[in-house]
Amino acid sequence: MFRKQFGNLSRVSTHLSRNVLAARVASREAEMSTNAAPAEAATAPPVVNEFRTGVGNPGEHSEVQIGKFYTIPMQEKKQIFSGGGLPKQYEQQIKTFTEACLMVRSPALELLNYIKRADLSKPVVRYVLYGDNGVGKTLSMAHVLHYGMLNDFLLVHVPWAPNWMKRPKESANSASQEGFIDLPFDAAAWLVHFKTQNSKLLERLQLKTSKEYVWSKRESTPAGSSLIELVEHGIARIKYASETTAALISELKQLATAGQCKIMVAIDGYNAFFHPITRIFSDNKQRVSPDRITLTQPFLDITNYDWTNGVCILSVDKIAMTEGYMESYLPRYLLGKEGFEHLDPFVPVHVGNYTEKEFTSYIKYYLDRHWISKTQPGFEEQLKFMSNMNPYTLMQLVRGL
Amino acid sequence: MSMYPSHFAEPSLKKETNRSSASHIPVKAATNDLSDSIFYGELKNKLIKYITKKGNKSLARELLTETFETIKRTQIERLILAGTEKENIIIDSEQLLKNAIENARPLLQLSAIKRGGVKYQVPVPVTEKKSYFLAMKWLLDAAREKDRKVHLPEKLAWEILDAACGQGRVIKKKNDLHRQCESNRAYAHYRWS
Repeated sequence: MFRKQFGNLSRVSTHLSRNVLAARVASREAEMSTNAAPAEAATAPPVVNEFRTGVGNPGEHSEVQIGKFYTIPMQEKKQIFSGGGLPKQYEQQIKTFTEACLMVRSPALELLNYIKRADLSKPVVRYVLYGDNGVGKTLSMAHVLHYGMLNDFLLVHVPWAPNWMKRPKESANSASQEGFIDLPFDAAAWLVHFKTQNSKLLERLQLKTSKEYVWSKRESTPAGSSLIELVEHGIARIKYASETTAALISELKQLATAGQCKIMVAIDGYNAFFHPITRIFSDNKQRVSPDRITLTQPFLDITNYDWTNGVCILSVDKIAMTEGYMESYLPRYLLGKEGFEHLDPFVPVHVGNYTEKEFTSYIKYYLDRHWISKTQPGFEEQLKFMSNMNPYTLMQLVRGL
Repeated sequence: MSMYPSHFAEPSLKKETNRSSASHIPVKAATNDLSDSIFYGELKNKLIKYITKKGNKSLARELLTETFETIKRTQIERLILAGTEKENIIIDSEQLLKNAIENARPLLQLSAIKRGGVKYQVPVPVTEKKSYFLAMKWLLDAAREKDRKVHLPEKLAWEILDAACGQGRVIKKKNDLHRQCESNRAYAHYRWS
């Protein structure tokens, strides 16, 4: 018996010493990487090391790449995100680091897996990203959007829906629907965004409208004209932009159901469509709820499940709400009864804080980019403790270092 | 000034201090802005206190953080553009602030001394503490003299960067002061006679 115990003890002790050794090696490696890596990383773009991966196609990402960075080519970044879609501070970071790097994280991978395995002939599946503030919902969506672009999905992407409810450029009474409000400038801006994202694909697919749209006595878009013409009409005649958006989206739905194209719908801050408090006022100074805005209807329509050949990626966000409605980040609370019933059934995807591995990888990336210049022993521990491994908090903390 | 008798030791920032040899010396209580975190810097704390207006210290801290961020961004940009001479570029913004302040510190100052009914501008050496104060004050004054649309962090960042490489308005101000002291050197003896 004594012998048995002794054996146990010795095993424990070897285990301990091995751990210590491993930690020491790791720390030395970290030091070396801080000294040596920057010189080579700045010049040659496709570097592969412990926190970078050479795999640039999101379709090929797997568990192996979790916690590693992949680079989006600048041209593709410009095509997808020039109209918004990345957080402002992340844009700034991209500009400073002169490379658009995204970390491969498990929520995005989970979503990609679902999308790859989905049967597109069945009614669309709605995926709802949810999570606390600053946890990477938008960037997970960006990752999936990149996948969508590379795999010939038509992107119907709303970078931040609450912009329409909270700070509209202009509001006007709708001409076609009584008692409704138009947001002509925002609709036109969205059409421009749609065009920049999809112009190449639209040219290739040659999609045609199914019926004639009459805008006014003199203007109309005949049946059989291409979708680009429809979009360009909306951009040129801002007055009809909202109606064009509605027409475009209903056309897209029909075309997708007919199997002519596949569509990826991505709407950030989706719960804004169900939040009754907006900053739009009608003529008699009454607050207009989102269901009285012409722009919300097509996007509610396309998130319905009555069409096929598409995927819907929606995110619900606390900051899409107004003050006093931000208690929880769970979809049921944020969407409300109406919104939840509209989306039901959906696949919830939880986005969480960094894991240990992702956190160290991020720190290494920052060190590589010279973003952290104070490297006292134990600074990682401090940052971990102070940020609680929350991505946004980490970004804020590291600013002044 | 201090509430403590002169034999009290300053509080230490290190976690482990070996005080067995000096355990009989009492230590002052630590002030609440001392910490051993990576965000702490003595000079930084001092500057934050000077930036503060109406006791709004959290705002001042935020402004300085933003300043450091701006400095870091411009320096990284320079590093990328530099090509070969990469060793000369300092990215650590706190180090740059230190350099800027060291560069902007004056040695002499003019003070008015009345001798025989006439006031003379007499050059007087500046104590170390005051020279730091003046350097930081000049930096801030230069940063606050700006267009209304420019934010303080942005301007302060530029002033710090300028001063760190020995150019700019703050350094000019210091040099002007030194020149005046030099031209008034004939009055120097009024300091003691």
